[in-house]
Amino acid sequence: MVSEWGDELRERLAALLGADEVGSLWLLAGGASKEAWAVDVRTADGELPLLVRRAAGGVIHTDTLSLEDELRVLEAAHEAGVRVPRPYAYLDDVGGREAFVVERVEGETIGRRIVRNPELAAAREALPRQLADELAKVHALAPEAVPFLRARDVLERFEVELDSVDEPHPAIELGLRWLRDHRPEPLDPVVSHGDFRIGNVVVSEQGLEYLLDWEFAHVGDPREDVAWPLVRAWRFGVDERRLGGVGEVEPYLERYVELTGRSIDADDLFWWEVLGNVKWATGALTQSRRHLNREERSVELAVLGRLAAEMEYELLHLLEAVS
Amino acid sequence: MRDRPSASELVEATREFLEQEVLPTLADQRLRFRALVAINALGIAQRELDSEEPEVLSTEEAAELARRIRGGDVPEDAPALLEQEVAAKLRIASPRYLDRYR
Repeated sequence: MVSEWGDELRERLAALLGADEVGSLWLLAGGASKEAWAVDVRTADGELPLLVRRAAGGVIHTDTLSLEDELRVLEAAHEAGVRVPRPYAYLDDVGGREAFVVERVEGETIGRRIVRNPELAAAREALPRQLADELAKVHALAPEAVPFLRARDVLERFEVELDSVDEPHPAIELGLRWLRDHRPEPLDPVVSHGDFRIGNVVVSEQGLEYLLDWEFAHVGDPREDVAWPLVRAWRFGVDERRLGGVGEVEPYLERYVELTGRSIDADDLFWWEVLGNVKWATGALTQSRRHLNREERSVELAVLGRLAAEMEYELLHLLEAVS
Repeated sequence: MRDRPSASELVEATREFLEQEVLPTLADQRLRFRALVAINALGIAQRELDSEEPEVLSTEEAAELARRIRGGDVPEDAPALLEQEVAAKLRIASPRYLDRYR
């Protein structure tokens, strides 16, 4: 537990930040593949709330970033003015596992609250344009600042992932088939966040505060990120608001196009929305395998194997509309 | 096994115990969330044990269809058949999800 490495970490933080006092660590709610610890540090400038991300079990997809690279992406984004928690340090050995330290930020991240809570109504109003503002900044990041990010063929990637599941999913195959047969001309690749959606943004009553969870960052077609928050699973039950359950696609897309000069219209996003459903259906299956393969035992991961059927149904629904 | 409780009844008893006796005692948000996921998982298991719906596709048929589609040979009735298959899976895994399409 913490006591084995907690004291060592606190000493390192004290040295690193010139802290007068480092409080005790406590475990926060966090993602499935990594632990998230909170710790408060007092420096000459005042109280500094910190978050320590530490490796847990395996990785979600085969191509997630290491914590070291994720922090480097955060640093590049922070430098370029993207709203991200301030990055502090990468630590290669915290109780035998790697970790990084960032500012611990306040606000709402739970999707179903962001799409429903009455006190976040004004935030939902503001979010479509704010999401576009942030995404335009991400897509303007210089690839040279993050040269370790990889570009991969999206269809090949999901085919390989699906094969690794070793269970027949003809509905996902149908989605992949349609995507192969209708593939659009690629746009120039950009630095992509890779998991840009409601659930990975911190929201206050004013709207978007921070963009989190950069572990899927890669280099790719900008439309992959643009369309990802449209995927039904990320509308958290408020299906009629197609942009992440918070708003309409048009003001978001208009703003993005205005800022980036890329010519993308709503119809162009359909292919990427189908891709998004293939991606999350496959992702849900591979996550459940981490439990089944005993990489990381978790009832949360386990049930995803059954919930992949939701994305399969959405895929069939989308394809029906264009057949 | 003919002795009761049946597998379904045992799952149900466990789910009710978690829901009615354990969940109300949990203050930690993370634990509450995981308990709800566990309750949902037992619901899935129970619906599957109680289901009398025949399989739309056997594992072999699903594997054969997946292979054909991957190879570019999509049977004409595949979309309709798969809609039935996935709807049947959802009646066990997430029955309320289907309401979102009505």
